[in-house]
Amino acid sequence: MRIRAKYFLIILLVFSQISCTKWLDILPPNGLVRDEFWKVKEDVEAVLMSAYETFSSMDRTLFLQGELRADMLQGGVNQSSDEQNIMENNIYPDNPYCDWSKFYLVIDYCNEVIKNAPQVQKIDDTFTDFQLKSLVAEAYYLRSLTYFYLVRIYGDVPLVLEPSETDNADFYLPKTPGKEVLNQIVSDLQANYQFAPSGGFSTIAENKGRASKAAYDALLADIELWRFNYEDVLKYVQRIEKNDEFKLLPSSRWFELFYPGNSLESIFELQFDENLNQSNNTYNLTRRANQQYTPSQKAIQMFGFEYSNEIVRGQDATIAKYGDNDFAIWKYVGQAADGQSVRSGDNQLSANWIIYRFADVMLMKAEALSQLQRFDESLAIINKIRDRAGVSMLSVANNTVAFEDAILEERARELAYEGKRWFDLLRLGRRNNYARKDKLIEIIVSNASSTQKRVLAARLTNPLGWYLPVYATEIERNKNLEQNPYYNF
Amino acid sequence: MKRIRTAILFLTALCNFFLANAQESIIRGRVVDKSDNTVIPGANIIEYNNENRVVNGTITNVNGDFVLKMNNSSNTLKVSFIGYKSQEIEADPTKTIIVKLESSNVNLGEVTVSAISKSRNNLTNIDDRDKASSSVKVDLAEMKDVGVLSAADALQGRISGLDVISASGDPGSGSQLVIRGLSSMGNNQPLIVIDGIPQFRISENFDLTSANSEDISNLINVPVQDIKSIEVLKDAGSTAIYGSRGADGVLLIETRKGRMGKVQFDYQYKYSLNIQPPAIPMLNGDEYVMLQLEEWHNNRGIFDIPPQIAYDKDYQDFYNYSANTDWLAEITQNGKTNDHYFSLSGGGQKTRYFTSFSYVNEGGTTVNTNSKRFSTRINLDYSLSKKLLFQIKFNYTNNNTNGNLKVNGKNVREMAYIKSPNMSIWEYDAFGNPTGEYFNPIHSYQGNGDVYFNPVAVADLGKNNNKSSKLENTFMLQYRMKDWLTFRETVSFQYGGSKSKSFLPYNAIGADWLSWDINMASENNSFNRSLRSESQLAFSSPFKSDKHSLSGAFSWVTNQLANEWMTVQASKTPSTDIQDPAIDPQINWIGNGPGESRTISGIANVNYKYLDRYMIQTILRADANSSFGIDNRWGIFKSISVGWRFSNEPFLSSWDFLGDSKLRFSWGVSGRQPNNVYARFSTYASTGNGSYMDNPAIAPTSIQLSDLRWATVSSNDLGLELNLFNNRIYLQGDIYQKVTTDILFDNYQIPKSSGFDELSYFNGGEMSNKGWELMIDGIISKTKDLRISVNFNTSHNTNRFNKLPENFNPERSTSIGNGQYPLRVQEGEAIGSFFGFRYLGVFPSDEDAVAKDADGHIKHDSEGRPIPLRYLDTYTFKGGDPIYEDINHDGKIDLNDVVYIGDSNPDFIGGFGTVVKYKHFDFSASFQYRLGFDIINGIAIQTEGMNDRNNQSKAVLNRWRYQGEDQAGMLPQAYMNHPANNLGSDRYVERGDFLRFNNVKIGYELSKNLCEKLKIRRANFALSARKLMTYTRYSGQDPEVGQDASDPFWIGVDQARTPPPKIFTFSIAVGF
Repeated sequence: MRIRAKYFLIILLVFSQISCTKWLDILPPNGLVRDEFWKVKEDVEAVLMSAYETFSSMDRTLFLQGELRADMLQGGVNQSSDEQNIMENNIYPDNPYCDWSKFYLVIDYCNEVIKNAPQVQKIDDTFTDFQLKSLVAEAYYLRSLTYFYLVRIYGDVPLVLEPSETDNADFYLPKTPGKEVLNQIVSDLQANYQFAPSGGFSTIAENKGRASKAAYDALLADIELWRFNYEDVLKYVQRIEKNDEFKLLPSSRWFELFYPGNSLESIFELQFDENLNQSNNTYNLTRRANQQYTPSQKAIQMFGFEYSNEIVRGQDATIAKYGDNDFAIWKYVGQAADGQSVRSGDNQLSANWIIYRFADVMLMKAEALSQLQRFDESLAIINKIRDRAGVSMLSVANNTVAFEDAILEERARELAYEGKRWFDLLRLGRRNNYARKDKLIEIIVSNASSTQKRVLAARLTNPLGWYLPVYATEIERNKNLEQNPYYNF
Repeated sequence: MKRIRTAILFLTALCNFFLANAQESIIRGRVVDKSDNTVIPGANIIEYNNENRVVNGTITNVNGDFVLKMNNSSNTLKVSFIGYKSQEIEADPTKTIIVKLESSNVNLGEVTVSAISKSRNNLTNIDDRDKASSSVKVDLAEMKDVGVLSAADALQGRISGLDVISASGDPGSGSQLVIRGLSSMGNNQPLIVIDGIPQFRISENFDLTSANSEDISNLINVPVQDIKSIEVLKDAGSTAIYGSRGADGVLLIETRKGRMGKVQFDYQYKYSLNIQPPAIPMLNGDEYVMLQLEEWHNNRGIFDIPPQIAYDKDYQDFYNYSANTDWLAEITQNGKTNDHYFSLSGGGQKTRYFTSFSYVNEGGTTVNTNSKRFSTRINLDYSLSKKLLFQIKFNYTNNNTNGNLKVNGKNVREMAYIKSPNMSIWEYDAFGNPTGEYFNPIHSYQGNGDVYFNPVAVADLGKNNNKSSKLENTFMLQYRMKDWLTFRETVSFQYGGSKSKSFLPYNAIGADWLSWDINMASENNSFNRSLRSESQLAFSSPFKSDKHSLSGAFSWVTNQLANEWMTVQASKTPSTDIQDPAIDPQINWIGNGPGESRTISGIANVNYKYLDRYMIQTILRADANSSFGIDNRWGIFKSISVGWRFSNEPFLSSWDFLGDSKLRFSWGVSGRQPNNVYARFSTYASTGNGSYMDNPAIAPTSIQLSDLRWATVSSNDLGLELNLFNNRIYLQGDIYQKVTTDILFDNYQIPKSSGFDELSYFNGGEMSNKGWELMIDGIISKTKDLRISVNFNTSHNTNRFNKLPENFNPERSTSIGNGQYPLRVQEGEAIGSFFGFRYLGVFPSDEDAVAKDADGHIKHDSEGRPIPLRYLDTYTFKGGDPIYEDINHDGKIDLNDVVYIGDSNPDFIGGFGTVVKYKHFDFSASFQYRLGFDIINGIAIQTEGMNDRNNQSKAVLNRWRYQGEDQAGMLPQAYMNHPANNLGSDRYVERGDFLRFNNVKIGYELSKNLCEKLKIRRANFALSARKLMTYTRYSGQDPEVGQDASDPFWIGVDQARTPPPKIFTFSIAVGF
């Protein structure tokens, strides 16, 4: 009997050697898993930084979205055919330029922070309420900014407000009308304004490189201008003006906006530092040897010594001349406003990307004032900008159309190649029920080759065509998405 | 109590070894053959007590000597040996006993083995004969001498319902096996079980570069000679026992074991010649240049002729660009294979052993490709006592494969097809003197030198070596507790490691020193290990009754798999002699990844049989796997099979012609688990460059899968097995249905608005396979001198997507273009259907390229001019362009004109063959066929497009050249960068039906008398040929196109550039 008992013992041993559940719980050896994450406030900050980092990595996209379809850019021989097609309005949904995935990656990271940060506070005792709300406010800001770009680029887009944490999430969201998206982000921004940081970081880079109350105001003003709520624009710009920290730089220091950057005038700018392996893409985009993008004929006439009296922000500052009809965009490659000292060494890829600066916001205010028929106040602002730029004062006839044109022109000069022009044009075209659609077409067509002009004009007649199509694979993957009808062939 | 007594006896026997006991007596002796006095090693000497029970025993050593300490001198001793009459001897301790054994009259060579199989599957503990589920067993004894190298080759066309497709003709590349149609997404390969041990499936992140099909075939790279039999389990009635891994079918491979008897040595040598079938004839240099000039002319009109295709004597590279190089011939060779196999087997009553060594050196049909394989196997059975059996299996395989490098995604054969033939292999200077270097310009007429490389240079200089070895050990201890109850504990571990090294020296490609791919070296190391334990309690009828019979087993299995890999890729090593990526170069990429998965399974099966006529078998298996979250961790798999052996019914006893026959039905559920074991976790890792300003940036890189579960395959099978006319005819037929639910999609794409590109896995949808199978074996002649048997099998399968996952968009790749097929799946249709344009020939002239209405009338615009036919908005068709049917008659060829144009699932697969034995000669032949499927001739798309600078096939010589030319079968005009002269259309869809003469063999066996004279046991010679002939209307290289349903949009495009070669083999086998 003992023998039998022995064998039963062996069997028992084999069967019981394992506590099933524990034995089967194997975690990946590299990388943190969700269950182990979201424990301390540093986790929250790290995901927020991913959102900033990813947003920054889109600087090339922000540049091109703001300039490619407008009139200040000319493609070089190394321009990709996809980008050339966008430029010439030969847009098909399979153009990779229409891919919005990176925007939504930023949104997902922000959603992660917004959802999980409050849970972390329950675990981490050192995580104060103030810190929590401040970090979440930054996430709301980045999400709103991203949606604002999306609405301006695509019109209507899916509104994703929850992180894609598990496969139970609904990935198949339909489009939300742009208006509703804007309502959502405006209310998010208003609700979190009070928690936004206001210059409390230890370095200037962090104060400029992260969302602040002023950045909130600038974005809100920008949105309201886009929505033509002019009184609101004034309200938000005034809040910035009351803040002593932001001033126009003097003329002599105008180029410091771009080198070394983080100037007094800057409100929010994406930080790059090649030393930290945080390289921008604007350097290679506008570097002459790369032959991707150069100033258009119109820009050359706007800034070149031979054509214009722009000194401060003209040739050698906004653009540089290398030879006859050989110009380059200088803002992101130059080290000084001399058109010669190119950024070198670790500075090459370190130029920041300015999202909002004081001059931009002031011109927003001027635009709002002019639409409210407060022409004198508006003109005063325009001339303040012109004064700083060292160009003669303007006198503009007291009607909104004249002011519209003057401000548009001034914005083009002041904010050239800062990713603003196309959206400024769209604002012009959309205003008062497309009253000045023809002006928009006229401006854009002026930059096209003679053979292209007619085709281009025809293509821009339908305002739906001002927005990009939803990328083909995205339409394929999400049955609930409707293509922009302009691109349904 | 008997048990205890036996145990005590056993123990005392052991004790007696050390203690001298007065009662015992030591007997010494020698056993010899009575006729010639030769010694007999391994003979048994057994001591019986007065109850005639075995109490002690020994065997003779190599000299035939034995020493036995008898427990009791009054006991009797018996000497026995197989092939001899046993003999009782008188125990006399005082002298050395000479035992002369008389050989028995039974001639071992002619022992007839009963047709009733008694083998058992270990996991189910059921006689093969009683199985009520669908499976087929193939005895591989006869395949030994045929020129097959792997088990997969041997199975091709021989088993109904099993589709075996050779992936490529390159050495070391294997086959794909599909059982009863595609039933899941991704890897559809069956589970391979060798001697009861499931072989590890290579995890997805194991090796980034190699294809899955090749890994699988390596698993069954067991030398064919080692394999005793292969059994294919087809329905869930039998695969449910393998639970989560059985969904795609199971292949059970049994290796040979030692048998009791004299030691046997066997040696076999095979020499094979592998001959590549002729390549697709390509244009020579002059024809190519003519084509290029025409392409440019048709596009541009007047143009500047590039000097490389101008035959300008003053051009410095004139001699380099005026060759007529047949690139394919330059890299093709005849492969030679040497195969040595040696085995040793034998055994006595206590020990049985089988050992084999195999060495194969296979030469590929492309220059510088070969593979060497060494393997050894030891199977050892040791009976510790009558009740206790100890078994060891040891297996080691070492592979060393040299292949060609892929450069920029293209292998040398692909490049040889498209490389401009007017370029020379070797460089000449401006005066026509050879420089001794490969001609590898940085920029050639075709493009950059590292994209359009010199295939001969890369084949000669590029190195791509893979060394892998695998070690497998199995220990089994079996204890028979009672006659009807056995406990078995099996522990097995497998260890596999592989190392790949590649090096591309700078002079193999044309690139300057700044280029990133100069002197590129890479190294990949990986290893897998697995540990498996199985505890089993098997039982048979505890009650003695002829009517009832019960058997079954309860098993508990734990399984651990782990793998790790690491890859380094670097370039710009300082010299071509330094081929190690770790030494001083520029590192381009370093990656590594580990993985581990664990499974626990409990298995129960009970089989009951009544009156040897009615059978019922049930299986229940529960699997828990670490790949799943806690909620979905356990999977339950089950099956029930019933059988009726009607041939044993009394009312059929008058039917003399009816042999053992049965009707059976089975139902069961088995599953499929994900390969990537960590897929369910959402991992947080550094994003982008890892920081923003001075702050670290960490974010989720994947979506957590809380809904991941097993894919389940449930199947029904109704089968009939008939044995007629005294086993002369054997018939087996099956009707089945297989339904996969919760299909496991790998890398399931989701909208990017989620912030992510894909879910690692997604369960959804439903797919079904329905079909029938028939196998017939017949023996036509069965006389002493002549034995003729024939076999035939056929099977039909229909695949259908019953349901697509919710939110699944059934259209992909909605853009169209040259060589592109729009991809679609539809509910209710089979996976692998083609959609594209209908090709109707070539417009003879510009006037013909006009839009027509439904009645065929030319459409006119408001001014009465004919409306030209357009492609999208970008191109107007001209004379010489292809005609695509304008399905909706809107004057525009676009996505709306896409129609169904074919399907890549075969309607029928099968094979037939015969084996003839006449005296000492034997002959066998086998054929394989696949019918009713279409192939997209992907090679033709690339070699008949005439819109780029790639070389084209000779078929393009018959092309449109001038306005009004209208000849039957003419191809469109040559036109550089034409946007639409090569759209995905039925122009390239061809019937793939084929009948292949797969194997033929003639063998001769030396007669017994001659063998005896030569002092050998046996000897035979054989000549065989494989893939000798293929009857097909398919115009491509080979109609065997794989079914690799890695995604639901898979279509069967033939991209194979190295078709399977013809193999001629001579073999000689000698046994001692």
